[in-house]
Amino acid sequence: MNRYAMGIDIGGTFTDVVLYDREQGRRLTRKALTTPGDPAEAVLDAVDQVLADDAIAPEEIERVVHATTLFTNALIEHKGARTALLTTEGFRDSLEIGRERKYDLYDLAAKKPQPLVPRDLRFEAVERILADGSIHRALDGEALAEVAEALRQADVSSLAIVFLHSYRNDSHERAAGARMAELLPDLAISMSSDVAPEIREFERASTTVANAYVKPLARDYLDALGERLGQREITAPLLLMLSSGGLTHVGEVRRSPVQMLESGPAAGALAAADIGRAEGLDHVLAFDMGGTTAKLCLIDGEEPAIAYRFEAARERRFAEGSGLPVRISTVELIEIGAGGGSIARLDALGLLKAGPDSAGSVPGPVAYGRGGIAPTVTDADFALGYLAAEGFAGGAIEVDLPGCHGALEKLASQAGLDEEKIAWGVHDLVNENMASAALVHIAEKGRDPRAYTLVATGGAGPVHAYYMARKLGIKRIVCPRNAGVASALGLLLAPARVDRTAAFAAALDETDWSELEDAFQELEAAARQVIADTGMDAGQAKVQRLADMRNVGQGFELVVNLPDGPYTAASRDSLLQAYAQAYQAHFTRLPPNVPTAIAAIRVRLTAPVEKSAEDLSKGSVSAAAEKGQRPVYFPEAGGMVTTAILDRSAMAIGDSFVGPAVVEEAESTMVIGPGAKFHISDNGNLIIDLPEDAS
Amino acid sequence: MTALDAVTLEVIWNRMIASVDEAAKAIVRTSFSTLSNEANDFACVLTDVDGQLLAQNSGSIPSFIGTLPATVRHTLDRFGRDGLEPGDVICTNDPWLGTGHLNDCSIVRPIFRGDELIAFAATASHMPDIGGRIRSVEAREIFEEGFHIPLLKIFRAGVPDETFFELLRTQVRTPDQTEGDIHAQITANYLIEDRVLTMTAEYGLDDLVDLSRELNGRTEAAMRDAIRKVPDGVYDYKMLTDGLRAEAPFTFALRLTVKDDTIHFDFDGTSPVQPRSINCPFCYTYAMSAYAIKCALLPDVPNNSGMLRPITVTAPENTLLNPLPPASVGARASTGHYVPILAFGALAEVLPDRVMAAAGSPLWNCTQSGVRPNGQPYATNLFFNGGMGATLGSDGESAISWPSNLSCTPVEVAEQTAPLLFHYKRLRPNSGGEGQYRGGLGEDMLVESLSESPIAVTFMAERTRHAAPGLAGGGDGEVGAVEINGVEADNRAQHHLERGDRILIATPGGGGYGSPEARDEARIAEDLRQGYVRGDDR
Repeated sequence: MNRYAMGIDIGGTFTDVVLYDREQGRRLTRKALTTPGDPAEAVLDAVDQVLADDAIAPEEIERVVHATTLFTNALIEHKGARTALLTTEGFRDSLEIGRERKYDLYDLAAKKPQPLVPRDLRFEAVERILADGSIHRALDGEALAEVAEALRQADVSSLAIVFLHSYRNDSHERAAGARMAELLPDLAISMSSDVAPEIREFERASTTVANAYVKPLARDYLDALGERLGQREITAPLLLMLSSGGLTHVGEVRRSPVQMLESGPAAGALAAADIGRAEGLDHVLAFDMGGTTAKLCLIDGEEPAIAYRFEAARERRFAEGSGLPVRISTVELIEIGAGGGSIARLDALGLLKAGPDSAGSVPGPVAYGRGGIAPTVTDADFALGYLAAEGFAGGAIEVDLPGCHGALEKLASQAGLDEEKIAWGVHDLVNENMASAALVHIAEKGRDPRAYTLVATGGAGPVHAYYMARKLGIKRIVCPRNAGVASALGLLLAPARVDRTAAFAAALDETDWSELEDAFQELEAAARQVIADTGMDAGQAKVQRLADMRNVGQGFELVVNLPDGPYTAASRDSLLQAYAQAYQAHFTRLPPNVPTAIAAIRVRLTAPVEKSAEDLSKGSVSAAAEKGQRPVYFPEAGGMVTTAILDRSAMAIGDSFVGPAVVEEAESTMVIGPGAKFHISDNGNLIIDLPEDAS
Repeated sequence: MTALDAVTLEVIWNRMIASVDEAAKAIVRTSFSTLSNEANDFACVLTDVDGQLLAQNSGSIPSFIGTLPATVRHTLDRFGRDGLEPGDVICTNDPWLGTGHLNDCSIVRPIFRGDELIAFAATASHMPDIGGRIRSVEAREIFEEGFHIPLLKIFRAGVPDETFFELLRTQVRTPDQTEGDIHAQITANYLIEDRVLTMTAEYGLDDLVDLSRELNGRTEAAMRDAIRKVPDGVYDYKMLTDGLRAEAPFTFALRLTVKDDTIHFDFDGTSPVQPRSINCPFCYTYAMSAYAIKCALLPDVPNNSGMLRPITVTAPENTLLNPLPPASVGARASTGHYVPILAFGALAEVLPDRVMAAAGSPLWNCTQSGVRPNGQPYATNLFFNGGMGATLGSDGESAISWPSNLSCTPVEVAEQTAPLLFHYKRLRPNSGGEGQYRGGLGEDMLVESLSESPIAVTFMAERTRHAAPGLAGGGDGEVGAVEINGVEADNRAQHHLERGDRILIATPGGGGYGSPEARDEARIAEDLRQGYVRGDDR
């Protein structure tokens, strides 16, 4: 019993299964091609293999942790359920009208993101609640029978209910939801007061509709997965990773699947946080770069930062504003259209661009020889000697180097540069795009990038980490083992975590403290119940109270970590102080003489999982690490220089080296510039210290 | 430093855009009025040492982008390079030096590298209140429109001018919000300075002179290339708009001359200046002219001053598009927003695939002031938007800000910040002009006062009598309407709402493009199914 923990990560292309053997400290991994039609199929294939190959008894699996991009992809591809929306009378168009802004100033035909529910499936209920929560007009429950009939005729399987000011008073939404459930027992129902109880009707509707849109899919998929795991006699509880990086049980996700949209990237961030903890790092910049996107996440202290809003399914080149706003707790990360497949080209001004258009896996980079003709970041990385043609992707792909050079030369001649210069330009530019985005993000948090250590994961992360770090003024990079499957490993490290939020509007000086305390306790009780339902010890759970606070009159709130309760009138000063500290950290100075108010309260419960033993590869002989040499481009060296190629698996703890070098392992390649010192840490991670003069 | 090749330029350009984007986020997060933090009524730019635009924030307002570099140049004219020192902050809301009305403060900060002036950070933002009559169209002279700040150093070498801030606080209804928003702008300017200095250090740049010459040179060349592809000629367009009274519409006239690689706008023939605050200072006219040309000819290239060099604009003095002091100008957008439509109308003949039918703009606005039950005065601004015009190949988007880029305030936020009850806010079926491509729909709002004390309201409303014209055979959009308690209201006058009074605001639809006969059957069916078009009305 309790010997194994299993992580399952379904990505767009691959489904990864990782099994952690606590007794022997082994990591067993399997990959299968994702099966979009029936995603559980790939999972079970991989699970069956890993169980069979290593003769593992299913009952020895103590828990199964799962992350997936299925729901995000359903939003992006508009492949969710046939969904309807029920709003307050007069407001069914809020979802389509949105915030009335353009994300592109100069494109006359730019469209708002297309709503997931078309107008003919948006219905209205007679009811009205005012801004103070009072009932202006009672709900007409009888009239809902007509709506139900229309839903039945339109073959709708999921319904979102979004009434005005329901974040203050949810009684009408609840009554309407109950009535609709009576009328249509098979209908999946999502209420905005349940999914995203926050002010601003468009954003709340967008979130609730996104939830409704994936709810039937989530229900069917999770039921199928649970059933088939059961058939394998894997009886351990199936836990799911939320976008916030916490774990929850199937019931919670069936209720609110929108919380799982960013579960894959969250798992990657958790892996980086764990590496940071092991290495004793206070400030980690997690950097995960794959084929089409790169993700960056700041980790200050032990855990990734949490955000309470993001945009799903951005339609236009990842442009801010072109996606669907979703108000959920999510690991705060930025996603950039920069990956190995990003296409390089010259724009109308003759300036070089890289991405965000991607060649994807089909046709892929020119070097893959699968019909790609546009040079990509990966092609540039081959031309610069960072990637080796032999044995690329475990030998699965026969690399077409002449084609790759040809495509880059063509681009170079258009730009009036030589091939080497253009290849470096592509590499440098994609790094700059990522670094620029990181800088804006770090600055928003009021931090200095130079205080961070970069943790590089994903297929392309370690290739680009070194020169991106230089742009950010970062002095140290950590590259873990199995960098290519870091997300799946991250699943095994997550604490059970539940976030709950409720509206609570009051100026701090006018707060009814017992009312506030009651509201917090209500949230805590609800969150504890979820933890208990995962089979974990709710008594061990750590409670963090938070509040969305602002200066009276400001339009945006800051989410502030609050001191522990219970609260009384005497708590006022400590809450005020917590706010002042957070505000100054973000924006340098508080405005003078303005009172402070609470807009919403939040509770975060975390229950730690038992930590597994680290599987340290027992390094062999360092002398064997250098497996060859090839010409590699380093701008500090003025061009291509003959460079040592090191075999990661042959590097032992404590071994130290000096760059330039390229360190290769099966899933990834770490590029290290001249003068950088690097070594294998006690935890088995590759640590790179950039030379002092690098900027 | 490294040579300014294609790669280095792009990298540095991105970095400069990132700096102003970051400043914009700081304004959203730290400002006090919904104008900045919900409606996006501000912009942040970086210029070179001569006031030539280098970068603007990505979501900015087209008018401000055009006016801010000019404000920097006015700052240079006023103080001279030698009259500026590190730590100075210059502020103005002079309509002719700033953005065209008193409600926006433009704030300029010189950026020094050591002792050398190398650039300027500049921001413009709409104040929640600037004193005077509540943004009333009835003002006849600028003196009625509020507190007028000439180009003034409000920080000298890092030291704030307390006299200025005390004066400001005394002149406005919302001293905390107005002062707070100015501080939010100053924070943004500091931030741009910090990021630019980091960048120059990183790339070993002593100044931005070569960089600016190269970047602005490239965009200028690109714009000249684009103009060269437009057939030379003189293109005229004339349009009637609502005017102050039904019997006296305004005339907007444009003669657009394309010659080789230059474009010249001449607004001769436009109606004279009016004793109402709908006059549009020339700086705003110019900004809107440049914006139209960029949309039509070079939408994909990041904007800077080089782009504007081939474009010249003239408008006779003392017309609607070039009023002189002391004309009142508070609602200048109600006039200036017609300018891009004139440009498209003129170019439609030669660039049918690059222009748009008229939009249901200018911007609509409802400004209110009243007293809360607790005795505190408040002022609030709500923006409303009509439909976009159709283009060749695409229906117009519904209810979206153009040629500005302002967000609506959410109904829930509006009801929380003012004693109002919205009965509905919905799309207006049939308001989009017919055509092969349909105009975008306007929106309808019915808003009731819940206030025990009277609320003063004024409006900005256009195209209530003269619809947004279609193009190439497309139909006109539906006109807009303002009603109080079911009766058409004079939208140029201030009104007082008693508890229970109801305002109807219906924004205009955009014009259609191409003959309705040519409309695709599937689009017709979809419009009927979604109720964008109601069959029984047509």
